Amino acid sequence: MLIVPCPNCGPRNSADLRYVGESRPRPDPNSTSTEEWRAYLYERANPAGMLRETWYCRSGCRRFFTLERDTVTNEFTNPPTPVAKLGKRP
Amino acid sequence: MAELPAFESPVSTPFVSSAGVPMEPGGPDAPLTLQDVSSTTKIIVRAGPGTDACRRLSTPFTTSRMEDGVLIVGQRPDEWTLLGQGTAIETVIDGLDRSGHVSVIDGTHSRAMFRLTGADAASVLEKLCSLDWNDHMTPDGAAVSGSVARVTCDIVRNDLDGTRCYLVSCDRSYGQYLFEVILDAGQEFGISPFADPAC
Ligand SMILES: [Zn+2]
Repeated sequence: MLIVPCPNCGPRNSADLRYVGESRPRPDPNSTSTEEWRAYLYERANPAGMLRETWYCRSGCRRFFTLERDTVTNEFTNPPTPVAKLGKRP
Repeated sequence: MAELPAFESPVSTPFVSSAGVPMEPGGPDAPLTLQDVSSTTKIIVRAGPGTDACRRLSTPFTTSRMEDGVLIVGQRPDEWTLLGQGTAIETVIDGLDRSGHVSVIDGTHSRAMFRLTGADAASVLEKLCSLDWNDHMTPDGAAVSGSVARVTCDIVRNDLDGTRCYLVSCDRSYGQYLFEVILDAGQEFGISPFADPAC
């Protein structure tokens, strides 16, 4: 079982959350190219190692947050950051 | 608030556990009881930080407090659930400054709510939910949200006269299922069901 540290609720069973995916900056739709926008929508780095990702605490605080996880060991390193504090949803 | 139709309980009678076992309503001395209290008025207030409504409700996230017959629950970081009887809640809501990012929704008819009372209440929840029901994590007044038998629920610990008690609420459509599942989990502790007195 994967225990995910929610910044509001504390450690939670991952079944209580929804995995949103890799966190990446959203290109400005007014100035981005088709290739860039397509890459933003569909391409994923999927690394074996550290990954910055977004989770949604659907059964708890209903907030989005980002954290860093080692996809090989499933260890979370940095403390989670509520997405609201980043100023935008990734 | 607008006049609403008569409340209809989401739980049907006679009571049956999720395993199909008929459950007789218990007496007041039953050691563990599950009562349908879905008719309780439930107002959900969302208020952004810095709003007057946020300052007025003030109960911190994960806690609850009783004020003039209304249980004010800090259910989410900027969301409160007000539980109680119609008139008492109306007084609080009518006095709420709604300027800024504030929304008020009446969830009375859309949410089911049950009161699980008894010394073994935590043991029943432990069978259905991965949250920690020890006193140091969820003391009297604690408010949490999580999955109970795979249903997303809001849970408030609200002890009655020193007896452990939890208010468990979920979407109305899951009410019948959740009631039956809690009855099934509580059977080994001698649980007794009670109907909603208002229905
Ligand atoms: Zn959370």
